[in-house]
Amino acid sequence: MSNPMSAPDSGPALVARSVAKRFGSTQALSDASLEVRAGEVHGLLGANGAGKSTLSRIICGHVGRDSGELLYRGRTLSPRSTREALDSGIALVAQETSLAPDLSVLENIFLPELGRPGRLSFPDMRRRASDILARLGRDHALPLDQEVRRLSAAQRQLVEIAKALALDADLMIFDEPTASLSPSEVDRLFDILARLREQGHALIFVSHRLEEVFTITDRVTILLEGRTVAASLDTARLTQTDIIRHMVGRDLGAIYATPGLDRRGGARDPVLEVTNLSARPIVRDVSFTVHRGEILGIGGLVGAGRSEAMEALFGLRPRDGGTIRLKGREIALRRPVDAIRQGIGFVAEDRRAQNIVPDLSVRENLMLAHLGRHRGFGLGYRQRQDRVGTLLAQLGLPTDRMDASLLTFSGGMQQKIIMARWLLIDPEVLILDEPTKGVDIGTRSAIYRILRDIADQGVAVVVISSDFEELLGVTERVVVMSDGITIADLPTPILTEEKLTLLAAPRSSTTRNRALLETLAREHGAFAWWALLEEDSLICLGTAAAATAPPLDLRAGEALHPRDTPIPRALAARAQGIVTDGALATLLVPLRNARGHDLGWIGLTAAADTPLPDPGQIAAQVRRLTRDSDDIEGDAA
Amino acid sequence: MSAPTAARPALPGRLIRTLEVRMLGLALVIAVGLSLMSPYFLTQNNIFNILDQSVVIGIVAVGMTFVILTGGIDLSVGSVAGLTGIVLGLALRDLPIPLASAAAVAAGAFIGLISGVLVAVFGLAPFVVTLGMMAIGRSLAYIFSGQTAISGIPESLSAIVYTTVLGIPANVIFLLLLYLAAWAYLTYTKGGRTIYAVGSNREAARASGLNVLGYSILPYVISGALAAVAITFSIAQILSADPLAGNQMELDAIAAVVIGGASLYGGRGSIIGTLIGVLIMVMIRNGLNLMGVSPFWQGTAIGSIIILALLAERLFNWRSAR
Repeated sequence: MSNPMSAPDSGPALVARSVAKRFGSTQALSDASLEVRAGEVHGLLGANGAGKSTLSRIICGHVGRDSGELLYRGRTLSPRSTREALDSGIALVAQETSLAPDLSVLENIFLPELGRPGRLSFPDMRRRASDILARLGRDHALPLDQEVRRLSAAQRQLVEIAKALALDADLMIFDEPTASLSPSEVDRLFDILARLREQGHALIFVSHRLEEVFTITDRVTILLEGRTVAASLDTARLTQTDIIRHMVGRDLGAIYATPGLDRRGGARDPVLEVTNLSARPIVRDVSFTVHRGEILGIGGLVGAGRSEAMEALFGLRPRDGGTIRLKGREIALRRPVDAIRQGIGFVAEDRRAQNIVPDLSVRENLMLAHLGRHRGFGLGYRQRQDRVGTLLAQLGLPTDRMDASLLTFSGGMQQKIIMARWLLIDPEVLILDEPTKGVDIGTRSAIYRILRDIADQGVAVVVISSDFEELLGVTERVVVMSDGITIADLPTPILTEEKLTLLAAPRSSTTRNRALLETLAREHGAFAWWALLEEDSLICLGTAAAATAPPLDLRAGEALHPRDTPIPRALAARAQGIVTDGALATLLVPLRNARGHDLGWIGLTAAADTPLPDPGQIAAQVRRLTRDSDDIEGDAA
Repeated sequence: MSAPTAARPALPGRLIRTLEVRMLGLALVIAVGLSLMSPYFLTQNNIFNILDQSVVIGIVAVGMTFVILTGGIDLSVGSVAGLTGIVLGLALRDLPIPLASAAAVAAGAFIGLISGVLVAVFGLAPFVVTLGMMAIGRSLAYIFSGQTAISGIPESLSAIVYTTVLGIPANVIFLLLLYLAAWAYLTYTKGGRTIYAVGSNREAARASGLNVLGYSILPYVISGALAAVAITFSIAQILSADPLAGNQMELDAIAAVVIGGASLYGGRGSIIGTLIGVLIMVMIRNGLNLMGVSPFWQGTAIGSIIILALLAERLFNWRSAR
């Protein structure tokens, strides 16, 4: 950087060297370095509290640095305000926090311009907004006149990105951008990131989720306790273990606790049985059972109504139907305290908004569910005192910070304390909504082990998670919800992320598939079904039967071994022709979406004496119906 | 940003980090300053004077603390005091003292109940609800009293002020017992901790099975009832019930609670802090009177001191946060 004026284009866009920052008694950054090139996605990784956000905020001018060097395109950068950073072309894409919810999409995209003198030209802004969205490949994804308040999380993020582009930002920092997105929305975001990379932007991607880091980043820099411990490593040469080792400073072993060491087969007692629970308009028909000592997963996309269903169960949200049985006895839960006294615990999703009481000490936060359950005028803390000690030891929590504020703890520690809050009252059932959201990877594996432990102690554990990998790693069984309805209940070992994605697809987006099944069933007098098919399992995604169809015992959301179906030969053969099993004739056609993604198989089963149509004709019919529609992708694209 | 485990600071450091200790320090500084400016200030006579003047505002500030801890505010205390004073004055014409006082307290509690239900059940803004109650209370006080002060209060009522125990006036003893009870309630009972939890994070309190609704209403009931108790002590001293009584009392009470370190967003504050806040307010007013400062200037002085105290507090917190 001896001559900044002649810095070559291929040089690093941003260089940070030995940046340090102290907040009060906390040394947030001590020796952080980072180098980002134009045209790359650079992962900035680290456990919670490692200083990722502080470094991002220093680069964007939200906070100043105490020492260290910051060069942007070869020039020293000392943003004293967000405005200065924006003017030099650096923007932070925050998590929907920097939008004005009551203004329109258009006004939000150009929000920074409102802070500049001069008149605004709305037609001009509208044209520029369309250009920007076209560059992102999302031309019509945003209604420009809509109020931001009414957008989905993914749409809001798109507004944030468009806003950064409206400022001609060359360096964009994405801070945990996928936290509230569904898997398909994450894919779309990654499409956008890839486009921005091609257009020569330098992108910093801050995330906890390693699988995303591998998908999208070119290089990564890893922070540990405020210092850079691995700088600009090529992502392609790294393994997950490498990254975790850098992030926690040691080898971690397996992230997920080995599930089911102590599985005693299917004969366990059901503890909580929920049938036809509804809390309209979001929760429409939810049924599931969880057994003693089991970890049940509730999977689905953001917005499928999973949290709402659990809140309705717990008495936080009015129900308008359904029965709840605890150990076989029907119980009436009107308020959370009813559920708590029956032995149900609930770790809600949003730690800061729903769990932490900031002005009470750690001790009192621990005691909060006890206090809710306690009958009497006093506090009754003493009766739980011994249990607190054992719990803290069991969860690996410090015992000498009981009078501190919970806010001074890391996200992972906070989560453990909230879990301890419920374990303290010895629940029969513990429901956890996104238990590892905002929790660093080291603590995540600890939380998984704790879940395993408490299940092994006989608690029925229910885990809601949008992270399919987590669901597969932690649970023994997964109930999938879509559009407020439980649509599948399957053992974890037969599931994969792809299968979960297909199962979790919003019902609205599979309308075409279901219409296709209806049409096929009607036209051919047959039983039409859509399923994922493997050597030893069949997962049914949808069915339709004509009046004259032979009864086939397949139901959507069910998994069967092919040999337990009436059509084992057809399933084994998977031939592009009619295969008969006794009195049943079956025709199988593979289902692909427009981009060639495997979406399973469409099957048509009829009595052997009914003339089934020519296989080619069916295949053509399926293709025709799927060709020009995005809907049939089942959101799996 | 997880803070690394901070070493436990030494005792002086811990004390200075306690807001009550800082405010007590401020109170002492003010006391010393005033005694330097007026030799009469630290006499036994004047100290009793200060305590006596603290009774009415101190009682109201207890209720205000409860309300503010839940994140609410009660602007109606002054006019509820005025109205319940009139109720007491009218009731004393036909009823014995205990029954008449009970009627006044019940009236105050009832008005508080209405405010509390409007706030907690219907989700109306506490500021607006109690602003409305403030207007209604004052208006009814004028109507019931026939626009004039009610005199002819039985002299025996003043016995509650002029009785002394071990040389301490009964009203001061009542005040101290009230603060002791309020402190114990807020610190050691389920209800007290629920009030803090509701003010700090209503959602979390609800999800933990606490009775959020009940303990959002209760503070308004307590506030209304204590406004009536306060005016009873006041009437006992002057033996007259004025419909204008308690005018602007809410401002003094809120100021005392805020000086005592409570957050208007709820969840933070303490009853000890409020007591110190009350004493600071009364001392300043008393000292200004002793020095012969015009009553018209006293508002400026008190207002400035409130703002400076809060500003100092904010600067202190900034410094320790950075």
